[in-house]
Formats: sequence, C-alpha cells, structure tokens
Amino acid sequence: MSDVKQAPDGLDVARTLDAKGLSCPMPLLRTKKEIEKINSGEILEIFGTDPGSRNDIPGWCDRAGHEYLGEKEEADFIRFYVRKK
Amino acid sequence: MSEEGILGRKIKGLFKVLCQTEWNATVAGMIVALLSILIMAWWRPWGAVGAIRNWGDWIMYGIASLAGSEAGILELFDEAPRSILISSGSVIGIGFIAGAFISASFGNDFAIRIPPVLEMCKGMVAGVLMGVGAAFAGGCNVGGMYNAIGNLAANGFAMWLGLVAGVILGLKYIYWEMEHISWGSGGAKTFNFPFGLKVVLGIIALVALVYGAYCYSGSDDDYVASLSGILVISAGLGYTMQRGRWCMVQGFREPHMTGDCTLAKSVALSIAIVAIGAAVLKYSVPMRADGEAVLDPINYVRGTFGWGAVVGGFIFGFGAMLAGGCGSGTLWRVGEGQIKLWLVVPFFAISNSMLVAWFNDNDIEADGVLGKFVYMPETFLGYGGTLFLIVFAMVIWYVIVDWNEDTGKMIIEM
Repeated sequence: MSDVKQAPDGLDVARTLDAKGLSCPMPLLRTKKEIEKINSGEILEIFGTDPGSRNDIPGWCDRAGHEYLGEKEEADFIRFYVRKK
Repeated sequence: MSEEGILGRKIKGLFKVLCQTEWNATVAGMIVALLSILIMAWWRPWGAVGAIRNWGDWIMYGIASLAGSEAGILELFDEAPRSILISSGSVIGIGFIAGAFISASFGNDFAIRIPPVLEMCKGMVAGVLMGVGAAFAGGCNVGGMYNAIGNLAANGFAMWLGLVAGVILGLKYIYWEMEHISWGSGGAKTFNFPFGLKVVLGIIALVALVYGAYCYSGSDDDYVASLSGILVISAGLGYTMQRGRWCMVQGFREPHMTGDCTLAKSVALSIAIVAIGAAVLKYSVPMRADGEAVLDPINYVRGTFGWGAVVGGFIFGFGAMLAGGCGSGTLWRVGEGQIKLWLVVPFFAISNSMLVAWFNDNDIEADGVLGKFVYMPETFLGYGGTLFLIVFAMVIWYVIVDWNEDTGKMIIEM
C-alpha cells in the first residue's frame, strides 16, 4: 500500500467504468478507452480491485496530461477519479 | 512528544517502508539482481518454470497413475517425479510464492480476487501458451531470458527478441478483444479480509518459512541441507517483486502501451548487474571445499540459441500478455490472491511438462533441433567481450525506451 491521494467528496462524475476483478493491464487499457467517451474537463470514475492500478492510473495520468484526482477505498474495491484534459 | 513516542513512530515508519510502501522499480530491480547473484553463489540460478514443471510432472504422474501409463504421452510419466519439497526448482517456487504472500499480507494487498469469466478463460489459454513457449525457449522469461543473458548464454538474447514480438502481438490482440468481445464480462468477485487477519496470516507464513529452512539445514544430506538457502533467497525474490510490483512483461509491454519505460530500464539494469555477478562467479570457477564448482559455467546455457528461443519467446510473450504476468510475475500475483493467475499455473504446468518430456524423450534439444548451446565467453568474445556486449545491449535498450517515452514513436495506438 503506497501513500495514496484521497479524492475529495462530492465529485460530479460523468461516467463510471467497472474494472473490478480485472488484473494488469486491463484496468488501465479500459480506462484509456473509456476516457475517450467523455468531454474535456469531465470526470471518469473507475472501480478497480488490482493493487497495481494505484500506480498505473496516476502514472498514466501524468504522462497523458489528465488530472488524477485521487481514490476512495471501499470494503472490497477502490474508486479512482480522473479529470480528462 | 516523549522519546518513547518518537521511537514508536520511527519503528512504525520503518515497518511502512519495508512492508507497505511500494518500492521504487530501480531499487527493486537492483535487489532482484543481488538476490539472483546470491542464489547463484549459494547453489544455482533461480527460475520460475522449474517449479511449475515439477508440479506439472506430478499432475501428469497422477493422471498416468489413474488412467494407466500405456497410452501416448502418459508413457513418459510412469515414474514419480522428485518430491515438491526436494526438487530445488519446486522449492524456489514455494519460497517465491510464500515471500510474495508475506509481502502482500503485510502490505494489505492480499485479497482473493475472482476475475470475470472471459479473464478466467484467457488465463487457461495463456497458461498453455506460456508452457509451450517456455519449452521451446529453454525457460520462461527468467530462466530463458533474464538469467540466461545474466548467465552469459546467447539463447537469452534470442528469447528477448521473441518476447518483444510476442508482447506486441499480444497487445494488438487485447485491443482487438476490447472492441469485439463483450462475452464473459460478469462473474467478478473479491473477498477481502480484515488487515489484522492478513498480518496474522503473514506472520504464520513467515514462521513456516523459517521453520522450513531450519528443517532443511538440519538434514545430513548436503543436497537437502542446501535447500534452506534456496528457500529463503527465493522468498526474498518473491517479497521484493511483489513489494516493487516488479514485472518483466510490463517492462516489455509499457513502452508500446503507454510509453512508460520505468520497468524496462529497471530490467535492463538488473540484467547487466546479474551478468557481472555471473561473470565473477564463472570466470575463475571458484571451487567449494569438496572440489565442486560454485557455479558451473554451463548453468542456464541451453541448446535453444536459434529458432527455438525466438519462437518460444514469441509464444511465451503472447501468452504472458493474455495472462497479465510472465513466469515470475504470475507467481507473485498468485501470492497476492489473483485467481486468474492461479488458473494460469496448472495449464502452464501441464503443457510445459508434456512438451519437455516429449523433447527429452526424442533428444530434441540435445540433437540441436531447437538451436545451439552457446556460452558466449567460449566464443571469440571471451569474458570481456561478452560483458561488453551485454552491457552495450542493455544500454541501447535503455536509451531506446527512454527516447520512446518522450517521443511515443513505438506506442501502438488503440
């Protein structure tokens, strides 16, 4: 478990991707595909269970220019939030 | 804050760094290289497929015992394989998974993760392909590539080439699958456990590991006694790889998927360090007290330098893309509870066990059908030239992936 960035409350989510149960590299690939379906400035929410996503999603946001807003940990999955550039 | 309070905070900080924070990829790669050299100095290079094949031999022996060993390939499995607790390959696998499990437990990464149905099917197919590829290449990405180049064997470079091509095709397949296959997306379920329980399970695994090492070291048989170090060092490898999420197939894949070259650079550095370590151990062939070589130069030099390692690497790379983990990456993900990778292992085991048994029965590798045995220091290169070649190749790889991270020239778009 790395130091994680907590997402703020009350985010206005435009679209949600359920990537629960998927393992590397599928959560990130589905995220890349799904973000094409929202507009610039809108927020994509991703449900994931792969611990690797904690590194992959923020790292990809850095390179692709999207804003990584953080995560929220639920009992058996994690919500990740990305704002499209 | 009282001095005791500060001490407690420092101890918690150390636990966090050692057991919870994700380790930097470069540091993880260097620790993997160090442990790879230590296990060579202790006895033998490590690999993932040695374990998986031993387990596959047991599955095949079980089938042969039930169905009769007269028919076809089952004829080759009429004798019991070496015990899973005595085969050095299998002990490496057990130690590796235990180390990964301990890391995942303390780091709160462990959970039983059941994937969607399509992913389970992919895991089974991936396992078969990885078993076949590893048989042709003379090892998986570890024994056939990482430790093969590290052990100055030319077949490692041939598999490296095949892996690059296989991973690219695998990535293209996954893009295609995302567009065209919607079947089997349901059925995912995750069973998480309270963190306290995970810590208790981690401590139990750690105690079992230490107890196992003591049991081995107390044996009168030198071979069995040596397994103590094998178990502990391979647990260190599993621990390090899980903690750093150090995955070789990711090093091959990311430059083409996102452009990220962190793991590719770390793998290149790690291979160069192992090669230097192996050259030191093999050059003067240091002897143990009983006159046996510490590390026989022929270790991990396989007769697959030719089409065997290239085609094997290609099939293995494609399979590893479907699996989401290479040989070692599969085993550490088994330790963190990923059921898809649990499914990869038995299919990998059976396909590799059958093909290797058939190859051995027909002297395929010995007769040079797959390629040549080339120990690079015995060619015109010598030790100096071999080390130069390996370090040079890794530097070129490093520079190319680094250049690609900024330019994106090698990224395959969706």
